[in-house]
Amino acid sequence: MTQTDDKPAVQIASLNKWYGAFHVLKEVNLTIPSGSRVVICGPSGSGKSTLIRCLNGLEAYQQGTVTLGTIELGANARETVLARRQTGMVFQSFNLFPHLTVLSNCTLALRRVLRMPRNEAESLARHFLEKVRIPEQATKYPAQLSGGQQQRVAIARALCMNPRLMLFDEPTSALDPEMVKEVLDVMTGLAHEGMTMICVTHEMGFAREVADQVVFMDQGSIVEQASPVAFFSTPNHPRARSFLNTLLH
Amino acid sequence: MQFDVAFALSTVPTILGAIGMTLLVAASSCVGASAIGFGFELIRRSGGWGGLLVGFVIDFIRATPVLVWLYCLYFILPFYGIRLGALATGMIGLSLYYSGYLAEVFKAGIDAIPNGQAEAAKALGLGRMDMTIFVIAPQMLRNIAAPMGNYFVSILKATPYLAVLAVPEMLGRAFDIASDTYRYAEPLTVAGLIFLGLALLISQAIKRLEIRLLGPTAR
Ligand SMILES: Nc1ncnc2c1ncn2[C@@H]1O[C@H](COP(=O)(O)OP(=O)(O)OP(=O)(O)O)[C@@H](O)[C@H]1O
Ligand SMILES: [Mg+2]
Repeated sequence: MTQTDDKPAVQIASLNKWYGAFHVLKEVNLTIPSGSRVVICGPSGSGKSTLIRCLNGLEAYQQGTVTLGTIELGANARETVLARRQTGMVFQSFNLFPHLTVLSNCTLALRRVLRMPRNEAESLARHFLEKVRIPEQATKYPAQLSGGQQQRVAIARALCMNPRLMLFDEPTSALDPEMVKEVLDVMTGLAHEGMTMICVTHEMGFAREVADQVVFMDQGSIVEQASPVAFFSTPNHPRARSFLNTLLH
Repeated sequence: MQFDVAFALSTVPTILGAIGMTLLVAASSCVGASAIGFGFELIRRSGGWGGLLVGFVIDFIRATPVLVWLYCLYFILPFYGIRLGALATGMIGLSLYYSGYLAEVFKAGIDAIPNGQAEAAKALGLGRMDMTIFVIAPQMLRNIAAPMGNYFVSILKATPYLAVLAVPEMLGRAFDIASDTYRYAEPLTVAGLIFLGLALLISQAIKRLEIRLLGPTAR
């Protein structure tokens, strides 16, 4: 991917998606500069997951364009594959490969997709496991780890592919409260290193501290987009106000 | 006629002499049926006309007696210039026949894998082939070790059908002894016991495998 810094990391233009007759994304426009951190929030069913899944090809859409750097998704098959490869994704349910060790989870794509030799792949994987603070779990299987540890492995697994963009879909929603912080800490660290991040999350503390834009979705549309300070102090849209109220109480 | 233990024992070496043939047919049919069945299931899942066609083929296979397959391959194909030996015909027939059943087992095994696994593989950039081999197949096998083992035992027990093609497997040998000596009970009992032993061995092996597969990697 040839990405110049003046190009935004992600540009979503007039995106529309339907599930059958159900209009799930309505005229979504969003520009995300390189290095920025966007938090997407909104009520359940508002289309947050669907939107970020459109950014790495997990969902198809019927209208509009998604451009990652200089590559428009779907325009050229080879470039689309490259763009996806440089987009990491972390899921609510971790989705680690249960039959592989932590280390093999991290090296699988390095070896199969990038054709990296085993030694090189393993040392890279260990580097990122250290970064998410679980180097000692490398030989364990996912089922032997706590939820917070599993999610950190999932982050390390995505980082191994050297992504330019990281997508997070409610990465802490499936975690016990005491494990949320360890995952958010890793994400905060990434943000401070300048990673471009799009996070669907209801962790408003994280949004306040880390995000430079908060995007509020409702019924398939972006109804408010603001800096965290503005969003939390003076939300414009009545639905954003009531959403914040339910979160706080 | 009394069951003559000494005579029964004397038939053991002859019948056991054919165990190699039985195992060869069973093992290659297990491999063949698994490979064809897995291929069928992959095509069926990919949808489209190919998927529909393969779905029909699978149902057709499962609705036909195995002997029909063996006779068809052996007697009808030569009319079209395709001549296979008795052994090859038998192995292909059993492979095709059981591929239909194994495709169903594989389907259940793949259906049980959460969607997120394929999504994680795609998000990492893995291609279809790598995803199938390194993510889907191992988890599928873990899900289906027991039913798959049952079909392997069934394949073993189906090897005597090859007697109709005069493939010299164990039951055929036992029958040869019986028709030479007019004593049926002893050789047939011996053959039955050997089959029983083999079936038990396979089940045990599958159980071991299952325990290993389910060990620390269980969800
Ligand atoms: N495969 C699908 N087929 C049909 N409708 C779907 C499908 N996936 C999602 N939807 C619908 O699309 C809408 C948006 O779903 P989405 O998962 O994007 O919401 P969300 O904002 O992520 O919600 P949550 O906070 O609950 O995760 C929902 O109404 C959902 O029922
Ligand atoms: Mg969601």
